[in-house]
Amino acid sequence: MRNRFAVVILMYVVSGFSRTLAQAPPTPRAQAPVDLTGYWVSIVTEDWRWRMVTPPKGDYSSLPLTPAARKAADAWDPKRDAAAGEACRAYGAAAIMRVPGRIHITWENDTTLRVDTEAGTQTRLFRFGGAAPAAEPSWQGRSAAQWQIAGGRRGAPPTGGSLRVVTTGLRPGYLRKNGVPYSANTSVTEYYNRTNEPNGDTWLVVTTIVEDPVNLNGRFVTSSHFKKAADGSIWNPTPCEAS
Amino acid sequence: MKHTLSLLFIALLVATPAFAQVDFSGEWGVRMYEDQPERVPGPELGDFLGIPINDAARLRAAAWDAGIQTLREWQCRPHSADYIWRGPSQLKISKEVDPVSREIVAFHAEWLRSVDRPVYLDGRPHPSPNAPHTWGGFSTGRWEGNMLTVTVTHLKEGYLRRNGLPRSDKATVREHWIRNGDFLTVMTVITDPVYLTEPFVRTTDYELTLNQQVPPYPCGVVQEIDRPKDQVPHFLPGSNPYMEEFATKHKIPVEATRGGAETMYPEFRSKIRR
Repeated sequence: MRNRFAVVILMYVVSGFSRTLAQAPPTPRAQAPVDLTGYWVSIVTEDWRWRMVTPPKGDYSSLPLTPAARKAADAWDPKRDAAAGEACRAYGAAAIMRVPGRIHITWENDTTLRVDTEAGTQTRLFRFGGAAPAAEPSWQGRSAAQWQIAGGRRGAPPTGGSLRVVTTGLRPGYLRKNGVPYSANTSVTEYYNRTNEPNGDTWLVVTTIVEDPVNLNGRFVTSSHFKKAADGSIWNPTPCEAS
Repeated sequence: MKHTLSLLFIALLVATPAFAQVDFSGEWGVRMYEDQPERVPGPELGDFLGIPINDAARLRAAAWDAGIQTLREWQCRPHSADYIWRGPSQLKISKEVDPVSREIVAFHAEWLRSVDRPVYLDGRPHPSPNAPHTWGGFSTGRWEGNMLTVTVTHLKEGYLRRNGLPRSDKATVREHWIRNGDFLTVMTVITDPVYLTEPFVRTTDYELTLNQQVPPYPCGVVQEIDRPKDQVPHFLPGSNPYMEEFATKHKIPVEATRGGAETMYPEFRSKIRR
């Protein structure tokens, strides 16, 4: 009888092991614990004076800046940026989720999530399984994505989850439209969470942690919220503006 | 017996723990990299930017006089549960664990200028609508993946912003507590049928701070200003001379500073550019 019990256990373990071997690993797209795709509109209830309008030069309230960063911000010249082809400085990965506008999230392929923005007509690519190979620094840099799966232990389905994205390889840009700088050494860590409300609203919460040893005294964390839009009927991409 | 043992063993293999997935307990330092001028020195009069208020809220806010804070009845008034997240205060969250099941049955949140605020996870119902309303309200939570979703009811009247913008005692609040490593992001969704035309959503960030301790905050009432007992600082409708100072100072159109749902959508930028 005891042997029969042992055989039952052994068969269970072996069958589970062979099932694991037989199945191809699910793609990140298939594995997604949360659906982030769709059109989302940023709702600006925070930092209004620094997001909805271009703040005056030298207004870097709330930001943990080094003296070097303040000096650079005080020298901001939007006309010079525009003339130098640098009008997109305030639309890089460290700042773009704070710029008012809509975003459109889609799957580029089974391993890459794509984010298009109305503001500045930017495209971000979140690659699962590691960032893209090193290349020239760019406004959106290279982003490595990873699901943070909740539950799902011992074969049970996930109970939810979030997305973690780490971006490096950035071209120097602005944290704020008025020339508050971030450097090429900047890394951006983001967490994407989705909520569902009783009134039918769906929200995307993006927590952004910017680390820049040149311009920031510490980890600069902000969180931005987006409301799900029914469709892209009022999608209106606009070019970068230096001022 | 053997069959029972086998079934029990298999059940243990496939069972999903009912325990909470995330521990929010600890000391959290508030990170005010958003709206710092509003949250620490305090908001300016007439700044209602980005808040989906209605005319009733504007009327109340225009009648508000900061001198009301000197009244004995107001001096020790704590921030309400919905506002306190945004206040300039460190946070301590502790957990209450059932000694038998070892499940978390409640979290307790405490800030410098607040009362203990329990969030019950044990499935208890909210009290009758006629039950007393308090500064902390009544909060229950449930897990949605790794996120804790909290429903808050039974709030006393409070404020949306510390410049007189009211939030009624009919408001309800949904919170989403999200822990991302050493960071805590809390989303608050305030629904107020009296003063808001749309839910008012904010997200606020904290960072785990191991060497922090929230100190005691005893509050005593004193006579700050000699005034007749029946006098309450206020402005009569249309008589507040300060409502446009903020717009002038920051060169923002007055219509924007009056707030309203329209001002929180990106399209509003094109309107104020005109």
